[in-house]
Amino acid sequence: MGSSLKNRFLLFLAYNREVVKELLSNKVNLVFMVLTLVLSLTAINTIYALGKSAEKQVLDTLANLNFGKDALLIVAGGQRFMGIGLTRLDTLKLEDAKALEKLSFVKLVSPTSGGTLEVSYKGQVEKIRVEGVFPVYAPANTWKVKVGRFIEDEDLEKLNKVVLLGSEVPKKFGIAIPIGDKILIAGQHFTIVGILEEKPSFGHFPLNERVFVPFTTAQRRLFNRDYITAIKIILQPTAEQRTTVPLIRSILRERHNLYGIAEDDFRIITPDFALARFLSAQRVLQTFLLAISLISLVISGVVILNLMSAMVEEKAGIIALRRALGATNRIIFIHYIAISLTVALFSGFVGWLLSLGVMHLISAFTPLKPLFSWTSFGLSLIFSVATSLIFSVIPATRATKVEPAILLKRL
Amino acid sequence: MSEPLILLRDIKKVFLVGKISYEVLKGVNLEVFAGDFLAIMGPSGGGKSTLLYILGLLDKPTSGSYIFEGREVSTLSEAEMAHLRNQKIGFIFQAFHLVPWATALENVLLPTLYRGSITENYVERASLLLDRLGLQNKKNLKPAELSGGEQQRVAIARALINKPSLLIADEPTGNLDSKSSQEVVKILKELNEEGLTIILVTHDPEVAKSAKKIKFLNYGVFVEE
Repeated sequence: MGSSLKNRFLLFLAYNREVVKELLSNKVNLVFMVLTLVLSLTAINTIYALGKSAEKQVLDTLANLNFGKDALLIVAGGQRFMGIGLTRLDTLKLEDAKALEKLSFVKLVSPTSGGTLEVSYKGQVEKIRVEGVFPVYAPANTWKVKVGRFIEDEDLEKLNKVVLLGSEVPKKFGIAIPIGDKILIAGQHFTIVGILEEKPSFGHFPLNERVFVPFTTAQRRLFNRDYITAIKIILQPTAEQRTTVPLIRSILRERHNLYGIAEDDFRIITPDFALARFLSAQRVLQTFLLAISLISLVISGVVILNLMSAMVEEKAGIIALRRALGATNRIIFIHYIAISLTVALFSGFVGWLLSLGVMHLISAFTPLKPLFSWTSFGLSLIFSVATSLIFSVIPATRATKVEPAILLKRL
Repeated sequence: MSEPLILLRDIKKVFLVGKISYEVLKGVNLEVFAGDFLAIMGPSGGGKSTLLYILGLLDKPTSGSYIFEGREVSTLSEAEMAHLRNQKIGFIFQAFHLVPWATALENVLLPTLYRGSITENYVERASLLLDRLGLQNKKNLKPAELSGGEQQRVAIARALINKPSLLIADEPTGNLDSKSSQEVVKILKELNEEGLTIILVTHDPEVAKSAKKIKFLNYGVFVEE
């Protein structure tokens, strides 16, 4: 048994040596076979990995916002069509948040009232998102204060005109440590009491370019309204979204007097929904690009078919010799499939390595970060091997048809 | 009398070129016994190489019976014929036909790869064969680094690695100078004296004289000289 295994191993090595030596005997052919596969695979791997990178960054962003499986966001306004709300936006109230707070499966409720306003500092004016928040906003969204303090209950009670800045805001205005400085929001002076720590943000969602004021100050002094824009809910660890979301929806519908076929005038956003929305456009583009890459892979396959056919033609004498020395059709077929497999594995590896390089290059110019992925590595090898093998069957079969008697005369 | 190693009865071979058929062998009969050294001579295009390929199981006759070691060849499958070629028949060709990217030792070991066994014994045997043929210092050289005579000696070692019962040589001295030709002929005679059956095709009467029997194939049939 041991010697049989050893013999098989030695045979395997000897066959491999034959395959590698034959491949290296025509380096130009080899380079073109590898190149055609590598180019397609690099494109596929890069597109796939960049897609995954985008997905990961969106997930990270959601995680940083404490928007995991235990979180929900209720936003004012129902379904939208081409960016335009189809229902009223002023029906979500602070009382709704208070009603939801009483539910046993709810851990935290953080209502907010926000909008984009003109914010100016020393004559420089910027349009910035202003959020009116309660102190619970910080734990509900895992925000941490870098310098100074967060909004406190006293600020709410006294309608204090105090503001916390997102980490990007001081940079925007070129302020170093502005605690105690005054800043104008919608023409009113607010005292800067803190700066938030930076959170990684992605795409068109500039998390760190916002300012936060007490909820009551925002409602009465800035927006002058009695409705709110969103409610963030953190569920108890035992609660499941599958059951809690319908219940919350029915409570809100009842509170808003919505019955029968009346449309919801609010939207409940779950992490899955948010992720799907974030990624839907990107996925369409990614699928399109992947389809193009797959077509290029098929073209690579046709090139491999031609190059392998040329190789069989060129090596017909050697094939005839192998047959004369006792190689069966099966051995000849496997030999050329092994050649194809060797090229495929090598190209798959090189294609994957190159895609990592391309990703690093892309990451230098975009917010996307390079992502190491074993799935991408595996896919590279699978695509490479599948293409190479499928398109090598014809040349390998042709090799088995080489007649030793006729070709040996030609050598 | 013992059974012949090779028995040919009324062997015919027809090649079709377009719509025209050429009968290259027109009913060849032949008996070759173990230990024979047969030289086949004849004019170019007389069917010598075709007969040799049929004898070497590289081709099948169009009609007739070929019995090799008691087995009717026409009933054998492709894999069985390959197995017989590998185990029972050694080939030497005019143009040597060594694999250019393999060393002399690797060329000699090539048939063992198709035998499905590549034990250390074979490596040792290949090495001994090359030693015997005067190539002890050339084992790791590639064909391009060897002279014509040396390449043919590597080819002889390759033909002998699986201990065949028949050695088929197609113009083995055709591409060699007279000194190298004499060396190759000497080796063939030695191998025959050791019991190996040899069938040789040659144009050279001097080479043919080294054989025990000479037959003339003239346009598809054996004739008396």
